Amino acid sequence: MVERKEIEHLADLVKVDLSEPEKYIKQVEQILNYFDSLDHVEFHSDDTLGIQIAKDDLRDDVYEPYGDSLIEHLKKDQNNFIRAPKMV
Amino acid sequence: MNLGISATEFVSQVREGAISVEEFVAKTLERIEKVDGKIHAFITVDSQNALEKAKAIDKKIKSKEKTGICFGMPVSIKDNICTAGLKTTCASKMLENFVAPYDATVTSRLKSEDAIIIGKVNLDEFAMGSTTEHSNFGPTRNPWNTDYVPGGSSGGSGASVAALECLASLGSDTGGSVRSPASFCSVVGLKPTYGMISRYGLVSYANSIEQIGPIAKTVEDVAFLLNIISGHDVHDNTTAKNQNIDYVKDLKSGISGKKIGIISQMTGDGVDKEVASATNTAISKLQDLGAQCVSISLDAVEHSIAAYYTIAAAEASSNLSRYDNLRYGFDFGTEGYEFKAFISKARSNFGPEVIRRMLLGAFVLSAGYYGKYYLKAQKVRAMIKAQLDEAFKKVDYLISPTMPILPFKVGEKIDDPLKLYLTDINTVTANLSGIPAISVPFAMSSSGLPIGIQLFADSFKEKELLQAAYSLQETTNLPEMTL
Amino acid sequence: MTRIGLEIHCQLTKLASKLFCSCKAEYRNTTPNSNICPVCVGIPGSLPLLNKKAVEKAAMISLALGCTIPEKIGFFRKNYFYPDLPKNFQITQYNAYGPTSIGSDGKIEIEGKTIRIRRIQLEEDPGRLVYEGTSEKTMITLVDYNRAGTPLVEIVTEPDFETPKQVRVFLNVLADLVENIGVADPYLEGAMRVDGNISEGDGNRVEIKNVGSFRDVEKALHFEITRQQSLVERGITVLAETRHWDEARRITVSSRSKEDEQDYRYLPEADIPIVLIGNNSVEQIKTQMPESIVARRERYIKKYGMPAQVADVLSSDRFYSDLFDKSHNEKNAKEVSNIITTDLMGVADTREKKLELKITPKHVSELADAIMENKLTRNSGKSALHEMVKSGKSLADVMTSLDLGHVSDAGSIEKIIDEVFKEEEKAVAEAKQNPDTINYLVGKVMRKTKGKADPTTTLEILRKKLAG
Ligand SMILES: [Zn+2]
Repeated sequence: MVERKEIEHLADLVKVDLSEPEKYIKQVEQILNYFDSLDHVEFHSDDTLGIQIAKDDLRDDVYEPYGDSLIEHLKKDQNNFIRAPKMV
Repeated sequence: MNLGISATEFVSQVREGAISVEEFVAKTLERIEKVDGKIHAFITVDSQNALEKAKAIDKKIKSKEKTGICFGMPVSIKDNICTAGLKTTCASKMLENFVAPYDATVTSRLKSEDAIIIGKVNLDEFAMGSTTEHSNFGPTRNPWNTDYVPGGSSGGSGASVAALECLASLGSDTGGSVRSPASFCSVVGLKPTYGMISRYGLVSYANSIEQIGPIAKTVEDVAFLLNIISGHDVHDNTTAKNQNIDYVKDLKSGISGKKIGIISQMTGDGVDKEVASATNTAISKLQDLGAQCVSISLDAVEHSIAAYYTIAAAEASSNLSRYDNLRYGFDFGTEGYEFKAFISKARSNFGPEVIRRMLLGAFVLSAGYYGKYYLKAQKVRAMIKAQLDEAFKKVDYLISPTMPILPFKVGEKIDDPLKLYLTDINTVTANLSGIPAISVPFAMSSSGLPIGIQLFADSFKEKELLQAAYSLQETTNLPEMTL
Repeated sequence: MTRIGLEIHCQLTKLASKLFCSCKAEYRNTTPNSNICPVCVGIPGSLPLLNKKAVEKAAMISLALGCTIPEKIGFFRKNYFYPDLPKNFQITQYNAYGPTSIGSDGKIEIEGKTIRIRRIQLEEDPGRLVYEGTSEKTMITLVDYNRAGTPLVEIVTEPDFETPKQVRVFLNVLADLVENIGVADPYLEGAMRVDGNISEGDGNRVEIKNVGSFRDVEKALHFEITRQQSLVERGITVLAETRHWDEARRITVSSRSKEDEQDYRYLPEADIPIVLIGNNSVEQIKTQMPESIVARRERYIKKYGMPAQVADVLSSDRFYSDLFDKSHNEKNAKEVSNIITTDLMGVADTREKKLELKITPKHVSELADAIMENKLTRNSGKSALHEMVKSGKSLADVMTSLDLGHVSDAGSIEKIIDEVFKEEEKAVAEAKQNPDTINYLVGKVMRKTKGKADPTTTLEILRKKLAG
């Protein structure tokens, strides 16, 4: 059973204000119940998929300044800082 | 002027001087003006720039300057793929004013071949959905019947091509998002092998499984676009090396002597009767062309939806964390807020489907649950891939209907997310395993709604896949768009 | 028993570019948000591109600390919301689902004690926050992302330290080590940051964060141990919590933030493929590693017969051992090591002072030769060295300008001795009686020649004259 408290906790983890947490309870519960089927799958291998790259194919350590002044595209103040709210 | 020609036909007509780019683009813009009010495929139309580009390309052709191989072909781009100078909204309030400072690799490759980006098209917010109803800017409608959904999430791509508002489009396919609208809109849509096309500039939803894919009227067009946009990219370490293949060449090689496996888990129960019958017809047509068809069972497919939504939700919850409205986003001052309150308030502007998936993602990744959900989902991926590897030892292709059901009405399924998730049963397998899959328009239902057939091939076998898709396409005789 | 474990964040300051993009790794002294690109500020659609050299340098640190390097390494996302984190997750490494971090299970000997290294991981540094405003109400946070994405290596030890002093010795060794490998300048501001965890007996573990400098680490640990011991004595349970070091008040303060309770929802970073390191690469990296401090010390003792203490001092200082290696030859090695360890290291003992030194290996080598060939006394050599350090002038120029030439021709010395004999009749008479007092007269000659007279020649002539 998914409860309102749990939905609120999840919403806090992903930082979303939910005006009506109830709206999500039933559907989230239904979907999670469906996901539970994964727990009953019989696996014969612990393999997972994933692509690989050789170390030598990684990016070389070269400094290349980003041509455009990126900060001009962002929300900035007159000193080119990004303004965030107070932390406490 | 016939806007219903294919992209390939457009190129040859422009080269022959039969049509001018400017005239075609102007007519296309008129068409958008005329029909898009009913379909709502576009979020942004870049009329002025498109016309200027068209004139410039005409001039290049006239003066016999070297012209890119697209010759001014008007294309639309899904609004989760970055285009410098044009808004990239992801159909979200969170990015309603966002203009990317750079071009996605696919965008710059198209531009350098003289394609004209005519506009940006609608999607389910951040590509999460299969109906294009979850857009902050309102739903896109199916051009074959505007009461119906166009599929999704690349519904704007599918609808804009089907409604003759452009010659081709780029979509993205995370769990079927290129193939579903291709099927519902009666156009061709390819989900390439993971690593085939650069994701640089594609706004991430579930980055371990999604790929950009072309949508167009014909298989030839899709092969043509794939030649341009595929290949290794230094900006994306997940792209594969050495894929210099010409997909247009030998497209008409046929499928005589090839083996096709019919996936039993995707053709049996739960498939609409008309869809099932169209699938059978497709199979017999392919047999007529000399292919041998056998039934193949992939029992891991049974777990594919749970695995897909677990992975997609987990990755989405992380990928969407960056939208906190501090560096970019909609207008919302920070004054008077404390950090957490501010971002939580800003982020409550995501739509309900996005929020739902972020909540699910937070749940499956939270401490103690990783092994129960995410890791199991990853193992399902490996299991599906292992079964496919076995299958491809026996057959060259796999076949299924793209969607198990016919297009449905706008609003019909929006309140039952799980039911809607289950309709992805035939598409998610290609994403989980990384293999390529293509949807080919095959038939119309008795009610005049499109039915698409899906073909799969092994990883990086796009050339063979397109050959089979072309063969299937040549057996069809579908109606013209009348809207 | 006290058990202390450490988490050390060490920036790879010697790299040219950031961990996942081509912006500059050195972010200091740049105007706000001028060293940024779509990747390091998390612009939608951007993708991380792992820096090859960062992987190699982190592997070197791992090898130097005796860690195992796996065949394949992987990256994870650590999800939490903070304004200095442009993507609201940090790309790091994580071993809970199988070891994929660049190093694990290492150990290092510190003063006869084995400190086990749990893991070494490569990760990105966040941006920097600047607080503006006076009262809490008007306070806002300004963010500068120039540092975001700077390559960082996190070294996590097992709780094997028993005293703050052991921690200090370890940190000094570690700083020397990363400097020696050439991956970091540990003395740059913020280049090396240390968090600690402490427990007493079976008590709860307390994390200490926010310690600004190496010196403060020892102080913070001392304070915390005393605090915990006094709680235990009074029968009060030590709470498992995170405490911050308050530099001004020199105490640790409980941080009310819920940081430890955070659920980071780790997941694999799919934008970075699994990186194949392989045995060949590890062997290759080994050959690229500079000589370790231990190996260098051995070489100094064996090859040059340096006393253990001199070899110790010299080998653990990258700057001076490099200078030694560049300036000595077979013949003058001992003299060069003498000049460096007894004179030069006293002149410049800090990073800033070292950077100001104008002395070159050629200076040191010539000086050693001059002393060995008796062209300069040790004393004059010291004066010459001081001048060369300041001006960078050649030894010949310095000897001329300071008039330091060695007086070794018997004629000149004899003249001076004659002068001394006239002035010091009483001492001369005494020396004739008691040869042990001869040094007084040597001193007088030296004073008159400003130390330039060759002591052996002086003594010879003096003896002759006294006897005659
Ligand atoms: Zn950068």
